[in-house]
Formats: sequence, structure tokens, C-alpha cells
Amino acid sequence: MRLPKGFQFSQGSLQDFFDCRRRFFLRYIQQLAWPAVESEPMLENERFTQQGINFHKMIHQHLIGVPADRLSSFAFKDDLENWWQNYLDLYNRLEFAKQTAIYPEITLSSPMGNHRLIAAFDLIFRQRDNTFVIYDWKTNRRRPPRVWLERRLQTRVYPFLLAKAGGFMMDGKPIPPEQIRMVYWFANFPLEPEIFNYDEKTYHADQKYLAHLVETIEHAAEDNFHLTDDARMCQFCVYRSLCERGIQAGIASDEESMENDIITLDDTFLDFDQIAEIPF
Amino acid sequence: MSALKLSTDQIHLIESSPDEKIFLEGIAGVGKTTAGVERLLFLLAQGIPADSILLLTPQRTLAKPYIDALLIPGVSAGGQVSVVTMGGLARRMIDLFWPVIGGQVGFSHPDSPPIFLTLESAQYYMAQVTAPLLQQGLFESLVIDHNRLYSQIIDNLNKAAVVGFPHAEIAERLKNAWNGEPGQMHIYDDAQECANRFRTFCLEHNLLDFSLQMEIFTRHLWNLTQCREYLIRSYQHLLADNIEEDTPIVHDILRQWIPQFRSSLLIFDLDGGYRRFLGADPQSAYSLKELCSTQFEFQDSYISTQPVTALENSLSTILKPQETAIKTLNPSIERYHPKTALVHGYFRFYPEMLDWVAKQVKQLIQDGMPPGEIVILAPYLSDALRFSILQRLDNLNIPCVSHRPSRSLREEPVTQCLLTLAYLAHPQWGKSFQVTKFDMAYALMQAIAGMDLIRAQLLAGIVFHNRQGNLQLTSFSIINPKMQERITLRLGEKYESLRIWLETYQQEPPQELDHFISRLFGEVLSQPGFGFHSNIKSGEITANLIESIQKFRWAAGEYLSETGKSIGMEYLEMVRQGVIAAQYLRSWQPESEDAVLVAPAHTFLMYNRPVEIQFWLDIGSRGWFERLYQPLTHPYVLSRRWLVGKPWTDAEETATNQETLYKLVKGLLRRCRQKIYLGLSVLGEQGYEQQGALLTTFHKLFQQWQSEGEN
Repeated sequence: MRLPKGFQFSQGSLQDFFDCRRRFFLRYIQQLAWPAVESEPMLENERFTQQGINFHKMIHQHLIGVPADRLSSFAFKDDLENWWQNYLDLYNRLEFAKQTAIYPEITLSSPMGNHRLIAAFDLIFRQRDNTFVIYDWKTNRRRPPRVWLERRLQTRVYPFLLAKAGGFMMDGKPIPPEQIRMVYWFANFPLEPEIFNYDEKTYHADQKYLAHLVETIEHAAEDNFHLTDDARMCQFCVYRSLCERGIQAGIASDEESMENDIITLDDTFLDFDQIAEIPF
Repeated sequence: MSALKLSTDQIHLIESSPDEKIFLEGIAGVGKTTAGVERLLFLLAQGIPADSILLLTPQRTLAKPYIDALLIPGVSAGGQVSVVTMGGLARRMIDLFWPVIGGQVGFSHPDSPPIFLTLESAQYYMAQVTAPLLQQGLFESLVIDHNRLYSQIIDNLNKAAVVGFPHAEIAERLKNAWNGEPGQMHIYDDAQECANRFRTFCLEHNLLDFSLQMEIFTRHLWNLTQCREYLIRSYQHLLADNIEEDTPIVHDILRQWIPQFRSSLLIFDLDGGYRRFLGADPQSAYSLKELCSTQFEFQDSYISTQPVTALENSLSTILKPQETAIKTLNPSIERYHPKTALVHGYFRFYPEMLDWVAKQVKQLIQDGMPPGEIVILAPYLSDALRFSILQRLDNLNIPCVSHRPSRSLREEPVTQCLLTLAYLAHPQWGKSFQVTKFDMAYALMQAIAGMDLIRAQLLAGIVFHNRQGNLQLTSFSIINPKMQERITLRLGEKYESLRIWLETYQQEPPQELDHFISRLFGEVLSQPGFGFHSNIKSGEITANLIESIQKFRWAAGEYLSETGKSIGMEYLEMVRQGVIAAQYLRSWQPESEDAVLVAPAHTFLMYNRPVEIQFWLDIGSRGWFERLYQPLTHPYVLSRRWLVGKPWTDAEETATNQETLYKLVKGLLRRCRQKIYLGLSVLGEQGYEQQGALLTTFHKLFQQWQSEGEN
């Protein structure tokens, strides 16, 4: 199947393929706009997502030098106030600023098959001992179990891409996988981060796995993009009416909505260059 | 480096040291952008971190060759090159440094986030500020559509920002140049009053239109140590293409920034400056040359074949004899007759000419020409012309794409259906809008699969009631059984589902309009048996409508809640007035890779991509050389090149028109490889005979050829 010109794989698109091939086909190959409700309640979810975006932006602002006291006045409502305080505690504890180098909101990419694999990182920092830590800020309401995170493509793609494409952070030398650690930090559960250490063996396994996944997609015929067998997922997919898999969207707080509960901002974070230019 | 065949000069430039400051100039088609793309790839191949490279273009379309090159798998792994316009960069910096700068600039609520305005939302707020003044009699002597009036006031503010003068001086500058009736000058004071009030309103409500974004960036953020250091630390290499299309304020920033970069490549098109009406200033761009230690000029065209170049020379000689006469023509070109690069069709009526164009395109494609190598251009592309030409191409199964959709978002039947149903579902919006039986019938035709106009009108005639503004849909079950059969039970069942859904919705608290439409789409209209099911186009239009409403809600929600107005109702009102959803730029519009492009000539130039074949329509139109009628603004007077106080006379107008046509013709021909097809008709689109300067030029050319033939 021919992917659109300039298509780049991301953990989000690979996760879509993994979850439901049909969804991948509709979203990325057909680029089909299907503006049904993803999950209910809409307004609350929109506010929650917006808070997540604001939280990410505030950390970015802080890490590039905007004083915390100036930012704190923006964290005055709902969950954001708590999240921000939890982040400041983490910041003071870990002292990111004293690391050798910090890279907030950085995007890395690498060739993969006939395309490129891309990932937008919330934060990468290099420590004095030349180890690298990836931080991913999670604002989800419930703390997902380790086993669930382990299965996410993000857990494979991020450390893999840092090892593969992060050489420029290591003075042009490749970063040994053993020197990479990925941390999911939960704004609602600040003392329960989930840490994944990386190593050479996992790196090679991930390379093989991701290359195979990409090759499968690149060579799949249209009828190989079949619907998921797990119809519960369709409650949280906008294409449910097109696939004739239900009418109403699921409730975000239901047990099945774990996938939907994770706000992965590499797909939703505001990229100003993606916003229609003001044609002045 | 790629497998392209490059000239020695190109290779020399590309492989220059990564510490070099380079200025590259040349006419269109000589391989400047190709060299720029290869230079970018060369820097990456030298191990320069991608995220330390800033790629700057005046508008996003001009960066496409670079973006395409960066997406190929062959580019090594690493970070990402920042591809930006200065406007995009300004906006990004304001967003990041707002907590530091918001208070200093004079916003009333620096502790609340900024609200960035699109052209649509800026126009909305301009309407809010200006409407009461219009009622008081401002602009009384001016006959102009209100939306055009708003956009020209916004344009003035933008000009002040990108040229770099205080917005409070707009009227003074325009009045000083005014050469007409003195009694008319007050309209500039009126425009100034509106601009001042709009700016104050923006500062009071944390609103940032384009002009304010640029002013904050250039006057405040660029001078803020934290921001400037962040930018200088982030970017060590600059590639700036088409700098001649950028504005003087951008050049001012570059003048200060270039010494801080480790390397830079500035690319200048000698014939450019097509965006003058948007503030482009080639002269200030060219002054950046002195900052670059290495300079290149490319001269040999890679695009035009000899006959096209010969045609360019012939037309140039007619358009600007004095300038062409002093140039020595390449003798090898003189051997080629320009006739072979020109095809024309001559008709009495405009539709006949359009039929001919479609037929020629079909023939070219049948002969093996890729559709993507054909463009159809006109000076301005009216909605009617765009629709007519796209429909003809569609009928011949020719893939085609326009710079914008053939119908505005608000004119789409899908939009009208959704807004009619939204109005029915919200009786609390009152009686401000008229929904007729016809509106209802058309909505039902869209909403229910298989519902034809006759049945839709029958059904609407029976079930739709407008009792003094209170709209109501009654049940299908109470209709006379004979009529039920005529409409069919299947369609009746779907209608009933829709009616019950709307009725149930009304029993709950109302939702945001975009949420309502999203739910209506997902739970009803896109379900099997309804009109949007498996209908890709409907999904796309609905997505764009939802996005437009959402942006409006985010930009105006807070303000409207202060005034107590409903966002949904206000959106509908703005759609009705044409302020919103008239020129909506759609984000859900997959790019067609190989399709005939139908676009205004200037828009095509800003794609900066050569093609094999160009069709030129409407060549009798004055739009090829005359400015749009914009009584409240003036691109030349409000430029840095204009001496403040000097009057703008007819002589300037004529000279500018001549120069515009000359540049446009050259620009187009230098982006054409094989042939120009001229679509000529005695009567233009409006049914009148036309005698514009481009048509006259071609008449002269044909006469020359005729006399050559006779001799």
C-alpha cells in the first residue's frame, strides 16, 4: 500500500496500526476526516486535554528560562495547580538545570524502511556521567500499570530513536543504549514514576521489531488493513460509524478507555507551523 | 549530495565551508533553490545538528522543496530543522515568553494566556469594534462591502507592523499621498480611528492579531535578553530563501541576527517582489548582501526551453522596450521562433473558451502529459470561474485542484444542512434567522441517503412548521399513509430517527455548537442509511466546519460570555454576514500529488514550482496589472520605499502597473518549460469586451508575427 508522500511513522501511527489496522488505513493512508466524538463527556475531555497542553508548555517555558514565579500565576485552576506544584517539587529534587545539557520539546527522526520514524520528546537531559534520561510528562487521571506501559509502542520508539538519532547530543558519537533511561512521570502521581532502563539487547530487538512493523505496513495490501477484533476499542475511535461498530462514544472514565486516557502530545501539541498561516 | 546534475557554481556554493556567509542571487529558474536544498543536505551530511538550522521563507509554500528533501529516508538520523516564517517564529516566541513580556507590552491581563487571532477571528473583532462606528456615520461616503472595509483596516495595521512605523501614523501617511478630492480624505481618519480602537480592544482582551504579534516580536521580544539568547543559542545556521518576498522588518531582524550565525545562505530572486501588496521589499532584502562575505550569481536557466525564452524576450520587448533594448539577446535564442511556445484559442463567448481549455487539457493528458505539470491561471479567480473550470475538468475525469476549494465553506450544502439542523435544535436562539421549507428540504436531502428533491420537498412541506418563528418537526407516523408510501417507509424511518435525536437533544442542556455537530455527525448523519455515511467529502466539510467553530469559540468565547451572547448563535450570525467561513482555509484537505492546478497567477508564483504547460485565462482583464480597488489602504504609499509626504500621482500608478505586468509575465514564463496556452474570448466573464494591457501586448505580438510572415 502506498503511503502518502512525505509520510513519517510515529509512535502514535504505529500504535494505531497495532491497535486497529483499519484505523491506520483510514487515518494515515486515506487521511480521512471523520469528526465524530472520540470520547464523552466532550467538554470535560477538551478541558482536560487543554490543561495537559498548557502543562507541557509551562514546563517548556520553565526549562528555557522563564522564571517559575512568573509561570505559577498561570496555574491557578483545576488540576493544573497541583500538577505544576508537583513538577516544581520534582524540578527542585532532580535539579534538571544542573545537568550537562537539557533538550526540552525536541524532535528526533531516523530513516526507517522507505520512510522516516519521528518522535517528539517532552524532555531529554544528559547527566554528568553521560547517561541520558527521557522524561515523558503524563497527565492521565489514573496511573497505568507498568505492564500496560511496557506494551506501548512509545516505550520502544523513544529510547530506540534517542540511541539511533541522538548522537549529536553526545558530541557526534552514538549514545550507548545502556546509557539511556526512559521515565514516565505522572503529574497526578508524582512519587510513582515508571522507569524503563534501556540496553543493547533491547535496542536490537526494537530495531528488528520496528523495521518489521514498518515493512509490514509498507507492503500490506488494502485488505490487510482489517478491523480490530476487540470491538471495545471502537467506542473510543472516531471511525466507528464508518466501520458500523456503534453509535455513541464511550465514557472516558470507563475501564476500557485507558488508551484514550493517555494524552500523547506528540500528535496534538500545538505546532505553530501547522496552523494555517495568516495570509497577510 | 543527491544524484542531481549540478553546475560547477552550484557545487562550489553547496560545498562551501559550514562557516561561510553566502548571498546567492539570480533570476527564476537558474537553480537557486536547488542549490539551497543541496546546501542544507550538505550541512547535515557534515554532521551539523539539524536542530541548529533555521530555514526561513516568507510563506510556507516556498519551503516545500526543503521540506520534501528532509522527509526522504536518505537524510541521516538526528534532530529536526526548524522550517519557519518570521510570523510563525514571532508567534512561537510570544507564546513561550508571554509570562515575561505580556505585562511590559501593555496588555490588561498579562496573567492570562494570549489569544492568537486568525484572519477570520481578527475580522470578527474588527467588526465588533467598527460596527457601532459605522452606525454613527463613519465611512458614510464610501460604498464598500463591510468585510472588505474590515480587511483593509487590518491590512493597514499589518503594513505598519511589517514596514516598521507606528500604527498611529497610518492616516497621516495616506493623506499625504492622496491626490484626489480633498473631501474624501476623512475616510483615512475614519480608518485610523477604527485601527486605534481595534488595537486598544486587543490590548484589553489579550488578543493578538498578526500586526500585534509582529510588533511585539520585533520591538520587545527581539530586545529581550532571554528570548534573543534562546534564539541565538538554538540556531547556528541560517538558510533564507526568497528574501525578496519578505518584509523590511524581517530584513531588519536578519541584519542584526546574521552576524550571530555561524553560517548563512541568503537567496534572492532578481525578478521577485511579487508580494509587494503584502509588504515585500526587495530593495531592503538586497541590502543584506553586504553582510555576506561570499557572493554568487547564477545565470543559466534550467527551466525554460529556447522557444519559451524567445517568447519571453519578444513580450519583454513590447512591454518594456527601453530596458530590453540595452540587453544583448543570446544569439542561440534568436534562432528559435517564439510561436512554437504559444497556442491560442479565440472565441466569442467565455464558456466556449473554458470548454476549449478543458478539451486541450484532456488532449495533453492523453498525449502523456502528467496532470501535475499543467496549471490554469487567471489574474483573479472568482468563485464562478473556479467552479466552472473545476467542474469541466471533473466531468472529463481530469484530476484537478484549486488553491482553495471550489465553494466557500459557508456555501457548501453540507454546511447549510448542518447549520439548519443546529438552528432547529436550539430554539433558545430565538427568531433571528429564517429557516424556510426549502432550507428544510435541502437539509433533508443531504441528511438522508436516497432522499431526492421531490420527496424532500413533500416531507418538509408536511412535517416542518414555522409558527411565528418557532420551528417544529412533527412525526412521520402521523402522516397520511398514502403520503408515507410515496415518501417511502425507509426514508420515513430515517427521518424519524433524526427528528427524535434532535428532540432528545433539546431536552438536555445545550452544548457547544461544534460538539453538537460532532455528535450529530457521529450518531446520526454518518450512520448507515444517512447521507454522510461513507461520504468522504461530507466528512471533510463537517470536520472543517467543526474546526472553524472551535477556533471561533476559543478566540471569542470569553469575550462573548462577558456580553452574554451565545457562541453558537453568534457564529451563525457571522456566517450569515460572510465574516466567517467565507475564505476558510481548510486543514483537512489531503494534498493532490498529480493534479492540474487552478490558481490565480500570483498564487502560482508563490508556489515557486516550474511546470511544463501554463494556461492563461482572462488575458483581457485589467487584473493582470491593476491593483485591487482598496480605497482605505495603499501598498506603495505604506511602504518603506515611499517618501512620506509625496503625493501618489497617475504617473506613479501607470508606471507601477507597467512594472507589475512586466514582472508577472516574466515570472510566469520563467516557470514554464514548454508552452503557454492562451484562452481568448471577445466577451469576458462578466459579458463585457475587454482590452487590458496584456491582451494589447499579445495583439502587438501577433501583428509582428503577421508582418514577419508577409515579409
